[in-house]
Amino acid sequence: MTPPARGPHPAADPQAPGGEATAPAAPRAESEPAGPTGPTGPTGPARPTGPARPEAVTAPEAVTAPEAVTARADATVPAAALVPEDSVVLRGGTFSWLFPRRGALVAALLVPVLVVLVALAVMASSTGMSPRDTLSGLLGTGDPGTVMIVRDFRLPRVCVGVMVGAALGVAGCLTQTLAGNRLATPDLIGVNEGATAAVVATAAGSSTGMVGDWWLGPLGAVAAAVLVVLCAGGAGSAGYRVLVVGIGVSTVIGAMGDLVMSRENDNTAGGVFLWAVGSLSGRDWHVGTPLLIVLLFLLPLALAAGHRLQLLRFDDDTAACLGVDLRRLRAAALALAVALAGVAVGVGGPIAFVALAAPIVAGRLSGPTRVPVTGSALTGAALITAADALGRVVAPVELPVGVVTSVLGGPFLLWVLFRTDSTTGKA
Amino acid sequence: MTTPMTDAHPGLQVRGLHAGYPGRPVVQDVDLSVPAGHVAAVVGPNGCGKSTLLRTIARLHRPTRGAVLADGTDIWKLTQRQVAHCVALLPQSPRAPEAVTVAGLVRYGRHPHQGLLRQWSREDERAVRDALEATGTTALAGERLDRLSGGQRQRCWLAMVLAQHTPVVLLDEPTSALDLGHVVDVLTLVRQVAAAGRTVVMVLHDLASAARYADTLIAMKDGRVVAQGPPQEIVDEALVKELYDLEADILRAPGDACPVVVPRARG
Repeated sequence: MTPPARGPHPAADPQAPGGEATAPAAPRAESEPAGPTGPTGPTGPARPTGPARPEAVTAPEAVTAPEAVTARADATVPAAALVPEDSVVLRGGTFSWLFPRRGALVAALLVPVLVVLVALAVMASSTGMSPRDTLSGLLGTGDPGTVMIVRDFRLPRVCVGVMVGAALGVAGCLTQTLAGNRLATPDLIGVNEGATAAVVATAAGSSTGMVGDWWLGPLGAVAAAVLVVLCAGGAGSAGYRVLVVGIGVSTVIGAMGDLVMSRENDNTAGGVFLWAVGSLSGRDWHVGTPLLIVLLFLLPLALAAGHRLQLLRFDDDTAACLGVDLRRLRAAALALAVALAGVAVGVGGPIAFVALAAPIVAGRLSGPTRVPVTGSALTGAALITAADALGRVVAPVELPVGVVTSVLGGPFLLWVLFRTDSTTGKA
Repeated sequence: MTTPMTDAHPGLQVRGLHAGYPGRPVVQDVDLSVPAGHVAAVVGPNGCGKSTLLRTIARLHRPTRGAVLADGTDIWKLTQRQVAHCVALLPQSPRAPEAVTVAGLVRYGRHPHQGLLRQWSREDERAVRDALEATGTTALAGERLDRLSGGQRQRCWLAMVLAQHTPVVLLDEPTSALDLGHVVDVLTLVRQVAAAGRTVVMVLHDLASAARYADTLIAMKDGRVVAQGPPQEIVDEALVKELYDLEADILRAPGDACPVVVPRARG
């Protein structure tokens, strides 16, 4: 792993922790006229007199010589100005970390919001349940009916909603970053149609018209996405290409599903419809546990990739020359997005707009220079929890969460499309 | 040749390099050796393979034959990240992340040196500060890149490349969109970079600037190197005729006898 460049590395760093200038720095400082590199910076370096090299000791130094990298006590740029604006540096020995201050602040804001929403969602019902009853149900001290409703139905359902939302949010964040486009969501790579087709196939195949095992949805979603990626020429290819092929393949898969559905009876169609609109109704730990295990595995990977994903915002050549293996990074991010969206859609059905909205909201909160992985997870979780609770409260008959997000998501999409971003001047 | 380097690195070697696309060779049998502290300028007509050569040296394009040795090591035996420790490239029209500040851009130059346990070392800090100073962009550190002028932006991009601390620096047309004053600024900076002991290879389309600022001129035509050497020795009427199919007078600059190409009007 050690690179052959003789670039300075921690072991060769002669610098004392304090950052004071040591002996070799002194002559350098003298040989530096204030002119070209002084605080008046933009005036630029002096012009040369000919091909004879200007005595350029001011140049950035020291590809090889360790003493040349010795710190200079420099008044022009305080160290704090060089640190990312939204972070705090923590150092110990040869280790150093950047603590994302703004990111932490955003998380500190979103986590309480999510907790409150979860509490409200556990309470929410069309019949009304008092906070006291809910709490007693949760603690198991209430009457058995309440305990059963809260512990066996609502709490697992809300938890599944949180996980589905987090997965959709992160998947959307990954696809948006990959494509460099805020409208690029996992649905565009066939995840929804694939999951729906798998569910339709099992429902059509069974004599009772029942929707099959929960894992068929994720399987269908991942299969469709793999098909899209293969058609697009591999996961390393440019983001837009995968998306364009995805739109075509999804349409074909969706049409095939519709074809099968049109030959089925109303009973099957009704069951599949409820699934295909996106609903958390009846979801419990039966699906929640495997979902939790998958997320515990995938979310840390997405978080770890977040820093590297920032480099996808450069052009390909620049990113590659900054040490990013683009094909591998793209393939990994796409695989993560497909897996996350696949399990989410497989469990909760194709819930609209969360994967689109969560990363946009999180991006606004955490600033334009970050890839908001954590923020997207929290925002997605909050959106689904709120939408599901709302769907159980507003109408006499429960509204599926997918219907609520669609109703709220339409106006949001219009807002994204028409609002000019004040910070970038871009639409 | 004296440089302030105490430990000169071997620079850049290109051996028998062939590169191109299936059925269309673009670079053919190129041999180069650019020592540490030298500036080499690749010149030639449009489409002669200059940029492909530079991309191949930067490991962005896989050669069909031959090898590129940066700092003595074959770059295809290294990972992308390891190459980023030896070779830095400034593409012709790079795209920066939206809303990035100058300091933010230059910090990205440290990416190959950073990891999970090493996110912002003192060395990173020094490299960024020095790169800002060397390019005269210190005062712009907090500004947003997209609000700067073309000349300022180009200096910021150079700062990013310098912060990467690589022995070999590649620049693809670093002066293409700049006015004369900024061209001189950037090329002066390039000389300073080389004087600090780095190897610089740049593609330039302006033969006059190339002759003035490069130690070695590499003239390419149809994917092959047709002449290679110090500008004073190789730039003559015949070379200009061969490269650009142009009749030209070669004058000598009064100060240093550097060749100045003055094209004659085509009759």
